[in-house]
Amino acid sequence: MIKAVIRVIGRRLMAIVPVFAIVTILVFGALRILPVDPAQMSLPPSATIQQVEEKREQMGLNKPIWEQYAIWFKRAVAGDLGESAQYRMPTSSVVFERLPATIELVICSLILAVFVGTVGGILLFSARGTPFESVGMTLTSAVMALPDFLLALLFILLFGVLLPIFPVNGRLDPGLQVPAQTGFLLLDSLLTGDIGIFASALRHIALPVMALGLAFSPTIVRVLHSSLINTYQQSYIRQARLRGLSDREILFGQALKNAILPVVILVGTQFGSLFGGTLLVEMIFSFPGLGNLMVKAMQTADLSVIMAIALIYCATTLIFNSLADAAAYLLNPKLRTG
Amino acid sequence: MRISFRLPDLSLLIGGSVAGLILLCALFAPWLAPYHPNDQELLYILAPPVWSADGSAEHLLGTDSLGRDTLSRLIYGARTAMTVAAAASFGAMILGAFFAHLAGYFGGWVDWIISRTVEVWLSFPPVVLSMLLIIGLGVGTDKVILAIVLVDWTRFCRVLRSEVQVVRGQDYVAFARLIGFSHARVIVKEILPATLPMLITLLSLQMGISVVVEAILSFVGMGVPSDVPAWGQMIADARIDMYDAPWGLALPIFAIFVTVLSFNLFGDGLRRTLDPRHTANRGA
Repeated sequence: MIKAVIRVIGRRLMAIVPVFAIVTILVFGALRILPVDPAQMSLPPSATIQQVEEKREQMGLNKPIWEQYAIWFKRAVAGDLGESAQYRMPTSSVVFERLPATIELVICSLILAVFVGTVGGILLFSARGTPFESVGMTLTSAVMALPDFLLALLFILLFGVLLPIFPVNGRLDPGLQVPAQTGFLLLDSLLTGDIGIFASALRHIALPVMALGLAFSPTIVRVLHSSLINTYQQSYIRQARLRGLSDREILFGQALKNAILPVVILVGTQFGSLFGGTLLVEMIFSFPGLGNLMVKAMQTADLSVIMAIALIYCATTLIFNSLADAAAYLLNPKLRTG
Repeated sequence: MRISFRLPDLSLLIGGSVAGLILLCALFAPWLAPYHPNDQELLYILAPPVWSADGSAEHLLGTDSLGRDTLSRLIYGARTAMTVAAAASFGAMILGAFFAHLAGYFGGWVDWIISRTVEVWLSFPPVVLSMLLIIGLGVGTDKVILAIVLVDWTRFCRVLRSEVQVVRGQDYVAFARLIGFSHARVIVKEILPATLPMLITLLSLQMGISVVVEAILSFVGMGVPSDVPAWGQMIADARIDMYDAPWGLALPIFAIFVTVLSFNLFGDGLRRTLDPRHTANRGA
């Protein structure tokens, strides 16, 4: 059984390798077409034309584009993603330094979204046929019309300006120092037992997580609601009722297990947009993660950083898509027989 | 077949009328707006709206940090939002529908190439892709429209392709081929009418998405030029003074919310009204 699971997941993951390879070529090509000279960008403004020319030679920019791509590819495989023009540091260290903040943000948001979405979906389903159902539907429509970056701004307005209970900037109160271990602040502070830092990190991450998580949750509510309605039309639910199981036992013991499948697929396929949402939400909250770095890199045309982060976004989206695909296959007995 | 007369769907009615009102605001902006959106009155900066204690009827919704009239900027912002949304959504629809019909109708290697292209496209989070495109294309209203078309055609393509596949399997389509209709004629005369309801529904939902993308791009300064009033840009400006003038931030957020909500309601209503099978969830 375990072997079969690994084989299914492995096959799905292998399938994204060619897609990802094409993505790298496209992004590389697109960034080289830009009217920006990476050689000039990586030198101080006082550099002479000759120095720029030498740098171009050294960076291989005079070679044909496919040869440049080959050079980039060879270095990237070895872990060298070039140098950030903005920070004058290796791109890989600039990017990986900020990765934990974003991962922490995304995981917390996903947990909140799935929690609110599942509870909301069950409540909405339990209210079927009552006026509460249409109230709930209207509410989900309303929240769906507020994308993450608007929710972020709204929360800043509500909980940062009008009722200042949450900080709206950064990851920690100024002055707090963290003994850096994994870079995951919530985890690090728990490991060292520093409750003060943990509380501060939690207060700082609260609003960005609420913005990202709540923006994603109404879709989960809707999908779970309609999936539960479909599930309840199956004959085994009627049989369970005939066997005398209570409503609660049917819902949590039988129906939910089957109705959750579309939610799993939804989370997998929509993960990319949640991850992409960090771009603006991090910028709005000055949260020092990948998204914030990407916005800055785009504004300063820091090509190697743009390339690295774009590829991280794509790889994550592809991986979650194929995991969702694998989960759909493994959890659905109807699909598995084929 | 029983034909029953139904009252129009409530979401369709509400969404449609609100969207229609916003469209009218956009069309008649020069007549509706009390001031020119870029006129600065430096003596009246950050004036609060009329309902707060020091509000005045001269600037019903107050002014921004340069003394520009918020109401006028909101009305002209609607013009920008609607222009971008309409043009970009139509563009994305035409491009997406074209490839969806090719892929769904011909199948085989045509379908394979188009589907793989969509897959590569969808591996980018849309926000990231649209910003990357703007870096390449440069700023400007036309560039924003082009970027949205190039990002969002895949939404249409993915959903419509499977719809086309279903319609293609119908007997009447096979029959049309048998009596010698050309492929082009079958697609346009036989398949397109069947996929049209879904196309229109997706278009309405895409209008809302385009409004959001336009707002995002102008919010980060990668959208329309700075002399064109846009809601996203108003948000970015108002964020600096949000502690002194929270209304300046709240109003454009509200404008985007109402616009997107009306398009979503309209789209939901259309789906229920136009789709005879009443399929509840298609996850567009």
